[in-house]
Amino acid sequence: MPGAKPALSALRARIAALEAGTRTPPPVLPFGDPRIDGCFPAGGLPRGGWHEVGGGGLEAETTAASTAFSALLLRPLASLGAVVWVMRRDDLYAPGLAAMGFPAGRLILVKARDEAEVLAVLEDALATVGVVAAVGEAEAPDLKAGRRLQLACERRGATGLLLRRRPFGGPAGQRRDVSGAAAQTRWRIASAPSQPPPGEPGLGPPRWRAELERCRGGRPGAWILEATEAGDGPHPFRLVSQLADHGVEAATGWGAPSVGFADSSPRGEAANAA
Amino acid sequence: MRRLAAVDEAAAALGLHVGQKAADAAALVPDLATADADAEADRAALEALCDWCVRFSPAVAIDGTDGLFLDIEGVDHLWGGEQAMLDDLLDRLARWGVPARGAIADTPGAAWALARYAADRAIAPPGGQSALLASLPVAALRLDEAAQAQLPRLGLFHVGQLLGLPRAQLAKRFGLAAVLRIDQALGSAREALAFRRPATPWFDRLAFFEPISALPDLERVTGDICALLAARLEAEGKGARRFELVFHRLDGKDQPVRVGLARPSREAPRIARLLKPKLETVDPGFGIEVVTLWAADVETLSPAQRGLDAEAGASVEEGLAPLVDRLVNRLGENRVWRADPYESHVPERAVVRRAPLAAPAEAAAWDPERPRPTRLLRRVEPIEAVAMLPDDPPVQFRWRGKTHRVLRAEGPERIGQEWWRRAFEEAGPGKVRDYYRVEDEAGERFWIFRAGLYGGETAPKWWLHGLFG
Repeated sequence: MPGAKPALSALRARIAALEAGTRTPPPVLPFGDPRIDGCFPAGGLPRGGWHEVGGGGLEAETTAASTAFSALLLRPLASLGAVVWVMRRDDLYAPGLAAMGFPAGRLILVKARDEAEVLAVLEDALATVGVVAAVGEAEAPDLKAGRRLQLACERRGATGLLLRRRPFGGPAGQRRDVSGAAAQTRWRIASAPSQPPPGEPGLGPPRWRAELERCRGGRPGAWILEATEAGDGPHPFRLVSQLADHGVEAATGWGAPSVGFADSSPRGEAANAA
Repeated sequence: MRRLAAVDEAAAALGLHVGQKAADAAALVPDLATADADAEADRAALEALCDWCVRFSPAVAIDGTDGLFLDIEGVDHLWGGEQAMLDDLLDRLARWGVPARGAIADTPGAAWALARYAADRAIAPPGGQSALLASLPVAALRLDEAAQAQLPRLGLFHVGQLLGLPRAQLAKRFGLAAVLRIDQALGSAREALAFRRPATPWFDRLAFFEPISALPDLERVTGDICALLAARLEAEGKGARRFELVFHRLDGKDQPVRVGLARPSREAPRIARLLKPKLETVDPGFGIEVVTLWAADVETLSPAQRGLDAEAGASVEEGLAPLVDRLVNRLGENRVWRADPYESHVPERAVVRRAPLAAPAEAAAWDPERPRPTRLLRRVEPIEAVAMLPDDPPVQFRWRGKTHRVLRAEGPERIGQEWWRRAFEEAGPGKVRDYYRVEDEAGERFWIFRAGLYGGETAPKWWLHGLFG
């Protein structure tokens, strides 16, 4: 149905404009590589929305890889305004962020008492003038909280990141695996072995295995990404390799992401569609 | 008809005087420079002068349109005596081009008379004002106009002549006010002065006819009193960073509620919004009869024009400062911060917490060449490590029940304790840390260190301190 395509995309754009309540199309944060940007409906990570970043195993408790990935992801945005980081355990180490080129001077750190407070502060920050992005460490927001976050993001076009983190010593098995149906994208981040330049000892630039598990209006993907230096260019990641894709040609329909890859996705997208 | 309201010395020398018709004056002096009299500006200038005089004495009162009374009892010794104090005050005024005369006496009336009709800088010795006053014209007694016009006709030109007359006849002829003025000048009658208080206490209160206790009422009076104080702050071009709202209960107990702001403000709705969530903690008891609001950290706040385009002109004042205020007041001051560099090589001490909107730090930024983790454990965790050689990174280690095989490693970065802060036993060679950045086979990167050196009394131990992404 190639003939129907322009009309369809025009309709999609109109619906998107209606939904977001904005006059202009939402700006995006491109990765700078068509193999990644092609997965997103607008050619990059949508900015006026929130994204879920998490990991499995011990990562769900330490969120070390997700933290580094998120900080790098937001690095291009941090020059545009303040970034608010809401956490429950204050083990975020600013020199580590600064070493990755993230301007720690623009970071406002907030330590909340419980999960509800994390989400409330995150929502408040996202709706504030001058805040370009906000990161919150929470376990799993329910649908209502997710929707509130989305509305807060849309008010000013701020980017929200939700780091899924299990509270210290919390029950390991009880976290809901699927949440955030309101999130624009969901990422699963794990560390990947680095590759130092040939002939050099030690560690290379950090690498991550980034799986885009779910993407509104786009399609999932999985890549190995490597951090670039802050001075190297506008994009914080370099694509090292594309991992076996999820067997989906393209998103089958806007707003119905569950049709094509319910089976192929490793962790039950079917629950999402419900 | 226009008349001269005031003349300066040069004009007085040309024969002009107060009350003269402006047309006559212009005829006498064709190139006369005149300015319209502005009573309000005169008053404002006198008030400013009054506030400035607080540096000489805390009790300063404005007298009429052109005078100031300073109560210098007990403060003149700070200047080395009455004469030195008077000289200092008048010299300063003269330096500013303010023509002024001054005198010191026991009573305000005598000082008023001496300052205007005696030689400049006259000082009446204690109890000796009547001798000095005797030679002054009767106008020095601040009598009413009728009496002042009458006295010279009766041949009474000097105060001394008046003092010799019987009081009963004086009172009968010129009214009790005249006798009172004489008594006030001589010190046998007291005179109350309305001292102008310095305008520093930023304070307002609301009293209620009926005690209030319901939460909606408390919220309403919070808004009202904030508006009261904010209007005063706005009139003076000030903003405050701390506000204390106190509910005074019928039984005499006070219930304070406080908020702090990141930037000075005088926006009543914003302050009230910050205060309102805290009203739930107020226990009204049998009722609240008075509420007071007190502002501290008052600073000059220039009025800012709002941007026409709210999106483009978003300033810190409009966005971040209110957000920081909301968070600080809801969560507490120690829960919202900005991480600033601190010049210490010990990782735990390299970060200092500062208020989010404080001025940028002076300390040098962290060295980007030294690897630092994104997550630093609050307490270092012990690991069981196996190292092939004493100074080598471990080949594998066990942390939280999981064995990690080290594929790549970087280091060591040797970090000693800050020996100048601790006793030698705690900072000596045994406490030196050798940090390694290691990566296991899954790509997870850790920051581990070995505490102590090989060959010492105790075997070195391995710890995990942080996680890289």
